[in-house]
Amino acid sequence: MTALDTDPERTTTGFAPDPALGGASSGRTAAPLLRVLLSEITWVLRRPRTLVMIGLIALIPVLVGVGIALSGDGMSGGITALLSGNGLLLPVASMGMLLMMALPVAASFTAADAFAGESAHGTLRALLLAPISRPRLILVKSLGVLSAITATIVVTTLVAIVAGLLLLGGSGFLTVSGTTLPFGVGLGRVALIAGYVVLQLAAFASLALALSACTEHPLLSLVGAMGALITFQIVGLIPALDFLTPYLLTTGWQEALIEPLRDPMALDVMAESSARALCYLLIGLSLTTLRVVTKDS
Amino acid sequence: MRTRDAVVAEGSATTPSQDAPGAPVEYAARTRGLRKVYGGTVAVDGVDLDVPAGSVLGMLGPNGSGKTTTIRMLLGLTTPTSGSVELLGRPLPERAGDVLPAVGAMVEGPGFYPFLSGRDNLLRFAAMEPLLPSGSVRVAVADALERVGLADAARRRYRGYSLGMKQRLGLAAALLVPRRLVVLDEPTNGLDPAGTREIRRMIGELRGSGTTVIVSSHLLAEIEAVCTHVAVLSRGSLLAQGDLATLLEAGGPALLVTTPDRDAAVTALLAEGVSARRSSEGVRVELTGTSAPRVVAALVRSDVEVHEVRRERAGLEDFFTQLTEGVSATTEGEGP
Repeated sequence: MTALDTDPERTTTGFAPDPALGGASSGRTAAPLLRVLLSEITWVLRRPRTLVMIGLIALIPVLVGVGIALSGDGMSGGITALLSGNGLLLPVASMGMLLMMALPVAASFTAADAFAGESAHGTLRALLLAPISRPRLILVKSLGVLSAITATIVVTTLVAIVAGLLLLGGSGFLTVSGTTLPFGVGLGRVALIAGYVVLQLAAFASLALALSACTEHPLLSLVGAMGALITFQIVGLIPALDFLTPYLLTTGWQEALIEPLRDPMALDVMAESSARALCYLLIGLSLTTLRVVTKDS
Repeated sequence: MRTRDAVVAEGSATTPSQDAPGAPVEYAARTRGLRKVYGGTVAVDGVDLDVPAGSVLGMLGPNGSGKTTTIRMLLGLTTPTSGSVELLGRPLPERAGDVLPAVGAMVEGPGFYPFLSGRDNLLRFAAMEPLLPSGSVRVAVADALERVGLADAARRRYRGYSLGMKQRLGLAAALLVPRRLVVLDEPTNGLDPAGTREIRRMIGELRGSGTTVIVSSHLLAEIEAVCTHVAVLSRGSLLAQGDLATLLEAGGPALLVTTPDRDAAVTALLAEGVSARRSSEGVRVELTGTSAPRVVAALVRSDVEVHEVRRERAGLEDFFTQLTEGVSATTEGEGP
């Protein structure tokens, strides 16, 4: 970090431009990328709204765990029966539930604010004047959103693992095929699911990011993203529109989460769904770039 | 596009070396044929602005006259519909990265995050400053807060700042690193007289340190004390620009004498062959063929009590009265 960040020529921060240096002559035209990235990530993760969001989402697996633990063995319906005594399945079940609405909302929450929020605060100008070039701003903002998504999933998964083990118990990983995998392998499967969810959310958030670049109202881009999510889900349910299914981001989300629970594991749906997510990510980031580089601020 | 080529060629002639961003330039900012159209509305049209290096340029004009749009194009925030911009010898927005590190600006009011403290806000922007080494980010922020008198409020959230404090934080952000050019768009908006004086003092200090300053305002009185140059905008066009003193004299030199015995003063001056007449405030003396010291001497010799003698600044003052009257008739609010 030191070699990248320090510029031994300039240590004064006085009022006057140093005549020997003529103000701009130290020649830097951009702040060190690492410093800018760290600043953005801290900014995203320290925001009260981000913290509240992560907290609320991480609470869901705990609630589910408590609910199942309380209902006990008496009520032996599908998921309850499966999870009792198999704590490591709690993060998987939680992701399945959260992916329907809560996680996409959370992901687009940060993304919707990325450009529109800066515009609304009047801070986008300050960033561009610093200056941060527009392509770099897109990179920094995208990684900021990715960091919020990753933090949400990592915290939620960790909380779910701990809650599952404490509330539901279990020392292995029960597959839907009936076998029990060792604990370590089970953790790996949970991590795989977490990574898959991060990718899907990043793809969805990139759409919100593109919307965010088009407006000065963060709420508008959030509503737009929610509209897209609901449209995906409704179109996925209408048999007459089956021909659209392969193109919907949400296609395969639930099926893909089941795949790591099988023994042996086959990840066909997950691979296809991930490829689809990468396409969406490319489209979202391209639209964002297209808008940001030409935007008047 | 023709005009752009012309200006770039001109720029390279006056700039000793195109490849040294720190090299001295004759003009801190120049525009040629600058035009911006939003939808069907012409916000700025045909603006040829010259900001000599080291000057304090007051950009004057009523609300909606195109000051902010011009400034945004100067800084590369907005792409002109046509025309060209040169900032510190570099064409904008193409070479924005080269020159913007040495430019500090507050455009359209201070922009900060309400949920962060003043200090955390500045730390975020300081992290983005190319000329600030990572090791001195914290020191620079502390210095900037101290300089604008916000050190005590540094840990309070921006949300709770008064308008004056917000403006001062905006100024602190513009002064995080030593600048060659500082652009302040309506810096005195919402400030009390003491705050306005404070801004003037800081502009004076910047000028003293060799920094070029562009400051916009809709009030001549607010900034004339610190300006060396003015540019007057109205309805998107540049009406006048140049050295302040020259523009002020443009209306024909005259002296205004405040005195209780106006008749005695007029008689005494006419006896000296100086053209003078009573006016509402005192006596108006034409300075053609004579000078201010001679007029004062003549009055003193005739034992006329003189309370105040000042230059009448016909040109700009009248101009401004017209402009501000035009404003009160139309609605408030700066153009897009």
